[in-house]
Amino acid sequence: MKNNKTGLVFFPAFDWAISPTHPEREERLLYTRDQIFEEGVLDLPEIEEYAPRLATIHDIARVHFCVPRVQSQVTEAHLIAAGSATLLADAIVHGELKNGFALVRPPGHHAMRVVHGNRGFCNINNEAILVEYLRRHHGIKRIAIVDSDVHHGDGTQDIFYHDPDVLFISFHQDGRTIYPGTGFPNELGGPGAYARTINIPLPPGLGDETFHYVVDNLILPILEEFKPEFIINSAGQDNHFTDPLGSMRFTARGYAEFTRKLNPHLAVLEGGYAIETALPYVNLAILLALAGHDYSYVREPEWPGTILENPERVARVQRVVEQLRNVWENRDRVDLDKIFGTGTFFQRRKHIYYDTDYIEEEQLERVRRCPNCPGYITIDSRADHGYGHSNRVFCVSIPFTACGACQTEAYDAYEQARGLAQYQFVYLQDKSTDTFLAFDRDKGQEWVSEGPKVGE
Amino acid sequence: MYIGIDVGGTCTDAVLLDRGLVRAMAKVPTREDLLSSLLEALDEIMKGVEGELVERVVFSTTVITNLIAEKKYDPVGLILMPGPGLSPSLYRFPTDTYIIQGAIDYRGREIIPLRLTEVDQAAAELAARGYRKVAVVGKFSCRNHRHEKEVAARVLWNYPDWHVELGHQVAGQLNFPRRVVSTYLTCATREKYQFFVRSVQEAISQRGIKGAIFILKADGGTLPLESSLEAPVETIFSGPAASTLGVQALTPPGETAVVVDIGGTTTDLALILSGQPLLASRGARVDDMLTHVRALAVKSVPVGGDSVVERVGKDIIIYSERLGAPYCLGGPLPTPTDALRVLGLTRLGDVDRAREAMQMLGAPLGLSVAEMASRVTTRVIETITREIEAMFCRWEQEPAYRVWEVLQKKKVRPSTVVGVGGGAAGFVSQIAARLGCYPVIPPYAPVANAIGAAVARPTLQVTLRADTEQGIYIIQEEGYQGKITERSFNEEKALELAKEWLCKRAARHGLEDCVEGLEVTRREVFNMVRDWVTVGRLIDVTVQTRRGILYHVGVGGTSE
Repeated sequence: MKNNKTGLVFFPAFDWAISPTHPEREERLLYTRDQIFEEGVLDLPEIEEYAPRLATIHDIARVHFCVPRVQSQVTEAHLIAAGSATLLADAIVHGELKNGFALVRPPGHHAMRVVHGNRGFCNINNEAILVEYLRRHHGIKRIAIVDSDVHHGDGTQDIFYHDPDVLFISFHQDGRTIYPGTGFPNELGGPGAYARTINIPLPPGLGDETFHYVVDNLILPILEEFKPEFIINSAGQDNHFTDPLGSMRFTARGYAEFTRKLNPHLAVLEGGYAIETALPYVNLAILLALAGHDYSYVREPEWPGTILENPERVARVQRVVEQLRNVWENRDRVDLDKIFGTGTFFQRRKHIYYDTDYIEEEQLERVRRCPNCPGYITIDSRADHGYGHSNRVFCVSIPFTACGACQTEAYDAYEQARGLAQYQFVYLQDKSTDTFLAFDRDKGQEWVSEGPKVGE
Repeated sequence: MYIGIDVGGTCTDAVLLDRGLVRAMAKVPTREDLLSSLLEALDEIMKGVEGELVERVVFSTTVITNLIAEKKYDPVGLILMPGPGLSPSLYRFPTDTYIIQGAIDYRGREIIPLRLTEVDQAAAELAARGYRKVAVVGKFSCRNHRHEKEVAARVLWNYPDWHVELGHQVAGQLNFPRRVVSTYLTCATREKYQFFVRSVQEAISQRGIKGAIFILKADGGTLPLESSLEAPVETIFSGPAASTLGVQALTPPGETAVVVDIGGTTTDLALILSGQPLLASRGARVDDMLTHVRALAVKSVPVGGDSVVERVGKDIIIYSERLGAPYCLGGPLPTPTDALRVLGLTRLGDVDRAREAMQMLGAPLGLSVAEMASRVTTRVIETITREIEAMFCRWEQEPAYRVWEVLQKKKVRPSTVVGVGGGAAGFVSQIAARLGCYPVIPPYAPVANAIGAAVARPTLQVTLRADTEQGIYIIQEEGYQGKITERSFNEEKALELAKEWLCKRAARHGLEDCVEGLEVTRREVFNMVRDWVTVGRLIDVTVQTRRGILYHVGVGGTSE
């Protein structure tokens, strides 16, 4: 018998903050707790609360190159947030739950593959850790992530940009008007994963109607064709009409309806900083929607009624939706060499700014264009921490489904970089064997993480 | 001298304690009239003892349990202000429910005003349906009781002789549906309970006892009988609390133990962690409704000494019901007690009949009498140990909302298994062996419940929430809302204020001497930051009097 329950891990991290007055502080989920407890939803037979669990350092290393080491970039709170997502996923895969909500902090969707510090309130990417965990521990191959945060999920995009088995869809406020300034329709994924990244920028001020236009006319049709085995919702709530950082005008009910339509296996909380006016209501509505309950009685006190959307901006969204549907429908007919060139490697330069930690990073990312697998990736990264302090590291990532040739070439690249004095740290992440290496030049030492064997 | 009486479902047990020693004990069958059973047991232990020597009487009773189970109370209507949130169709309340406009938010601010015409209308309809009792409950009324008070005043203005119960006075914790149920049950049982209390007081004073009278609550604390009139529902399910405290009193302090109380058809399991009984994280389920009643974490397993054992195909099944005494005691069907008798683990009943019972079960399976008996006992032991493991797992799986709470979680397993109750003797050593623990059957195990009642401490608690931005504070247990006048109000001052209120509360209940050694059980401070500036603090503190038992009870020295 298939279980019909919705699992919840509520981890408000009441003793963790980036800084005392930072939006990502102890108080953030306090009123959400009050609302959820007072409603008595945890007593509903369809909802089961789970105790959180810590992710392992190995789970993090499967996704990120943390400089210098995983332990220096994550606190226990990060491990608990990521571990809660994998805990619920385990229960879903085992059939104990039909879906789940990791209502946890801290968030993660701005954390990229290489981590020099905190950016956009994030250190490690909870959804990406979950994806790699699902592949390694449960053999799940095709996964979709839909990011409903007001900010572009640039970290998640970065990590899966060359991954043909992970579909990443993000709708967010137009990057020209908000952090992190990316997420435009032309960011569509690398040569091996073209149209596996879809970005829908939304002009400020739009509300539920346009939100659902995008969901109905773009997101749901694409998902239907992609046929993911597992759907993750990066459930940011800062598109809400009261959010202090965003300028969109979505409501709790709009979010709940989206959750019902998307029907994700797991929703993972991301941003959302209207801690009194939005979060208690949006979180409650999402939880009810996941559990299949009526959410029409959830209404924010400041609820504006129907809002009038600017028709010119709505038309802009409709054009983007049409354009992206075209891209999606023609994804297999498009001439990739025309877009990405014909070299054996595709490379891109990235400039990454860590707004929380004031770090400037320059990256050269190269992906092997392999006919037999998604290709291995190398990243040459230099981070400037200010005050003349900088780090240069070299990272090699072998995908889960790598072919033997790519694997061999990648190990060669790692060995070669170990011999180059300019790199303080050299990393190798072999997802195909779940083995991770890190070389520290000053100490002349190499660390190996093989993690627990599958099934342990 | 202290007296403890536990009026249980089948037996009423009583003990008389004198400076830590058991002076007398009694066991009488519980009859329909609970009061007469209580007095019979009391009279038996009081034989030859002057009433004036008794300093303290504590009893636990199923009076409320029975009232509720048999629905022997007057109908109660509900007037609710749920405001936005869960759909009211998800609420399952067993009576006529009127939902009216009005809403308060999590910080006690009004978000939707009341409409008094709706109150009048709801009350008129309740009146037309013959109700004279009504429970008025609002969502977040524990953060601001204004709406509840206004509704109550309006109802009483229309119907001055009605009994109106308010949610914030019954249950100050968060969880609206549970507050509704708790308020409903309080409203329903209060009058009948008051009658019972008055009869007990009269009967006891007739016996010349001038000591204080207390009643045991489900959380193992006691309340002066008079004070319990305010919260009758809290006296429900006090039986398991009595047994657990009894074990606490009869075993060395600081142990981590499982209490296994094997009765006729059920086995109650409770945990003592480092010497303290474990409280359930959520309120008790009463008559299949979830309440705010704080109770010990007790798991009832439907298996006991008198459970019916039947062969089904090649397997045996132990049923939860009882169809009379065990076969060896003249009953109709084989039971676990018969198996114990065959194995020599009990001396109850007739060994030949016990062998006959095992023969009936085992012959078709080709099993000898001894083999069958050990199979039956193994099955009982497996069922119980499985539940004990599950209880510890559930306790480990309690949610944690702070990093340090998650990190300090560790696997705890008991060191002893303590058996009480009639069926314990035969099973406890084997249960302990399976769990790798020491088996303990304390002296006076059959009356551990009455001993637990006798030594249970009175408990009082005060929960204070202060919102310095709004300049208000609330005393949850008193339903009091006050203003903060001091500009420099902080956590320390909140704690002082909470202690003051606890002393006041203690004085009101005549418990002045138990405010020594107060415990702070919760301390939470949140800075409220708006636009990068700290605008105030939310402070939650809970202080309580010491929980547990007054003293450990020694061996020997009975008057028998």
